[in-house]
Amino acid sequence: MSRYRLLAASLAIALSFNAYAAATEHIEFWTMSLKPKFVPYFDDLVKRYQAQHPGVEIEWVDFPADLIQTKLVTRIVAGSPPALVNLNVPWADEYARDGLIVPIDSLLGDGKSSYVKAALDDLTFSGKTYGFPLYSNVTVIAYNTQLFKQAGLTRPPQSLDEQLAYSVQIFEKTGKAGFSPSLAKADGFMLQQGLPILTDGKAAFNSPQHVALIEKLAKAYKAGGILKDSLFAEDNFPAAIAAYNGGRLAMLSAPPTAVKRIQSDASDIYAITDIAPAPLGPTGIVDGGWLIHFAVPAGVNPKLMPEVAKFARFITDDENQLAFAKLANVFPTTIAAANDPYFQHLPPNAGASEKAVAIGAESMKRSRTLYVAGIEDYDELRRALVNAVEAGVTGKRDPKAALDAAVVIWNKKLAKQAH
Amino acid sequence: MHAQRRSLPQPILQYVLLCAIALLCLFPFWWTVVTAISSEGNIFAFPPTFWPKSPSLENFAEVFRVIPMLSFLKNSVLITFLTVFWKLILCSLAAYPLARMQFRGRKLVFGLILATMVLPSEVNFLVNFITITKLSLVDTYTGVILPNVITAVSILLLKQAFEEVPQDLIDAARVDGASEWVIFWKIVLPLIGPWLATVGILSTVEAWNDYIWPFIVMSKPEKFPLSVGVLYLSGTYGSSTRVIAAGTVMTVLPMIAVFLGAQRFFMRGIDGAVK
Amino acid sequence: MKRALGHSWQAYLFLAPALILFAVFSFWPVGYGSYLAFTDYSLIKPAHWVGLDNFRYIFDNAMFVAGLKNSLLFLLIVPAIQVGAMALAVLVNNNLPGIRLFRAAFYVPVVTAISVVGIMWGFMFHEQGMLNYVLMQLRLVNQPVGWLSDDAIALFSVMFVTIWRGLGWYMVMYLAALQSVPAEMQEAAILDGANRWQRFWKITVPMLMPTIMVCTIMSVLAALKAYQEVLVLTQGGPLNATFTALYYAYDQGLKHLKLPRGLAASFVVSLCCIAIMLPCLRYFRPKHR
Repeated sequence: MSRYRLLAASLAIALSFNAYAAATEHIEFWTMSLKPKFVPYFDDLVKRYQAQHPGVEIEWVDFPADLIQTKLVTRIVAGSPPALVNLNVPWADEYARDGLIVPIDSLLGDGKSSYVKAALDDLTFSGKTYGFPLYSNVTVIAYNTQLFKQAGLTRPPQSLDEQLAYSVQIFEKTGKAGFSPSLAKADGFMLQQGLPILTDGKAAFNSPQHVALIEKLAKAYKAGGILKDSLFAEDNFPAAIAAYNGGRLAMLSAPPTAVKRIQSDASDIYAITDIAPAPLGPTGIVDGGWLIHFAVPAGVNPKLMPEVAKFARFITDDENQLAFAKLANVFPTTIAAANDPYFQHLPPNAGASEKAVAIGAESMKRSRTLYVAGIEDYDELRRALVNAVEAGVTGKRDPKAALDAAVVIWNKKLAKQAH
Repeated sequence: MHAQRRSLPQPILQYVLLCAIALLCLFPFWWTVVTAISSEGNIFAFPPTFWPKSPSLENFAEVFRVIPMLSFLKNSVLITFLTVFWKLILCSLAAYPLARMQFRGRKLVFGLILATMVLPSEVNFLVNFITITKLSLVDTYTGVILPNVITAVSILLLKQAFEEVPQDLIDAARVDGASEWVIFWKIVLPLIGPWLATVGILSTVEAWNDYIWPFIVMSKPEKFPLSVGVLYLSGTYGSSTRVIAAGTVMTVLPMIAVFLGAQRFFMRGIDGAVK
Repeated sequence: MKRALGHSWQAYLFLAPALILFAVFSFWPVGYGSYLAFTDYSLIKPAHWVGLDNFRYIFDNAMFVAGLKNSLLFLLIVPAIQVGAMALAVLVNNNLPGIRLFRAAFYVPVVTAISVVGIMWGFMFHEQGMLNYVLMQLRLVNQPVGWLSDDAIALFSVMFVTIWRGLGWYMVMYLAALQSVPAEMQEAAILDGANRWQRFWKITVPMLMPTIMVCTIMSVLAALKAYQEVLVLTQGGPLNATFTALYYAYDQGLKHLKLPRGLAASFVVSLCCIAIMLPCLRYFRPKHR
């Protein structure tokens, strides 16, 4: 009896040694809303990598962007996170602060220098880098040339003041709204105009210049130039693009991928659409780049890390980023790929969506995600600011009074955090 | 039957009222259907078109091309059927003692069940996922079905259904020496047919449209039900709004069909069985 | 006496599968969630007891306070939905040709995914949307109404959508309940000379009482816990006018991963639910059976 047991035991041990020797490293990586469109691209990429690295098994899973956060958090808490996950910058900021993703400086190594500096800066929180930049979306302005002609405008706007003036004129002459700024990101809006949000750790957005900005917006709002629908909603893009497609909005801030959607959803409007670069503020920065990157969640097996680093650098290298950017109408985030002549070249019969790519590429160099980093419970403070801006712009409250009240809320909260 | 016919107001008036309400209920869905059937034109034109331009089934075909609809449909049908089947059995089993048996702790059990309807449930999916992981039920249909099989609402409704069965009937059977088991299966359960159908319908719709929990439990997207699957149509690189509308229509139509079919089950009255 | 005690173990046998599943998948998470409301749990670090800190935080927060007030206002929909659903059930409780299709039509809002509901009603309610267009054409208003952008009426617009979605659901239940009103009682009453109104109030409604009780309780809980419509229509705006307590809980807990705070908000809502449910149960109890 015991002899059989011994035999069985030694067999088991022998077999397990075999299994251990042939152990494959399993790397699961998640993308956001890239299936089914990019299945051939990623399948090919995974195949190439596995061919070059036997013993590594790569699993590609894609999830809808609305749900990926819930899934990620659940898997981290349950102890089975993926090795790499697609995130955007604001999400990464919160996760980094909560310790749900880990710094990757050691994994980047010397590969750091190949990435566009602006992209890495966006992903640096408290001095540590938290993501491998993958691709970026820059906003351009799509404008309705017919409405412009009716309003007597001959060229696209080149500053916020011009945008506001144009909107009022467009409404007066055509009865349609001019543009729809994303005021739920009031903080980014102010920052882009060169107005600080915090100075020396205290709220500073009730200065005369800030008040003047709100008053400018309020004037345009009252005159009908600004689209009223969902103006202060967390995501006002669906309302804005629906209005643009319906011919009720003259200027739409959108990434080149969205311009392609206009082509399929409203071909008549697409035909009369032209593209202009998003106006730079006095800061010379274009707000609204959506930087998508790969982050490493907390709880990934440390033994797996070297392989994860290799794969992450592979999937975000020049060649792969360039190929993806061309497929998806987005912009790569490595220096070499971003400088590729493809993005500067305009084909002869360029429609709006091709122009959007070329013009966006130009703006890309000056694109940063503008927001205030590093504050605990920032969202609550941001909402207080947005409410104040909303009250001021819609005329419910005097702008200065509204901003002052918000400053009080901010300072109270910031003081509590100081100790 | 005579009683009802004599007392109704003019059928014309009734139809007018019915149509008015139906219009209010249907128009968002109607717009979705129009968008799904159109193949050209501007969906966002204003005033909106309530009649399809160049109708075609192209968008529906596109949905099948873009996502694995058949897999998703199969998963939805499986999950929904199993959930509702087990729910009806287990919830009626639980509701019967609460309605018609005297036992110690009855109030406590009832109170606990009500408590689950009231207490915070935000972390439920998180905690339940960890439980499912520990039970090795991740990425399985069982894992999806298990937490949804018992709900306080179903137990409440079935309890109230059992309470409508005349106590005399049950007492008579008990006097005759029938066991509770027999009373349950042979006497009481058949009498609450319409309520079983009602709970069945409500549960079917709930299970069919549930997307967060199956999304969390399943690791492989091929196992997602339709409610999750259609989300792959949207997104930055997603399909056109028309195709998304077609996907939405295909998610709703089966439920309407089920509802139409199930009506005959809960529209039947009880004829009074106390004899 | 012997029978009463003898039933206990049988009752528990019936209840066993349900109670086990409930214990694992309902009692446990709900109890743990309630406990976490008193801790500083942050997903990867272990939880430490912090007493009422989270509660102090949320009551100090304008969004939650507005939300609590709005959730209580939401209770206004309960009579509206219950009366409406009952009326609908009565309206379709007959054999008119095509009535089955009408019943299905009233049920469609229940079956439509909340995201689609949000898109469509958003479209209707926009300042340049369908509703204003129709109203202006009919000359009922001469300026666009800010259904979702005016903080005085936005909450009522959201409540309207909730009612719209809920009517079909409760209609089905009242319809099922109406089936068990015996025709004989109705006929006897007609012979006695009672008109429709009297028959409705004296016969139908009392027989519907158990269903009315269950539906009212469910409706009250649903109203206090409303958040999905806010999520897809307004996300709490304009100016916190449509924040509900549970939307705050969802937003803090699941979007910003401040779970203890979301759970504390949820716990406060639970206390409100219990406070309101107890009188309801007591009110319905004597009439019932």
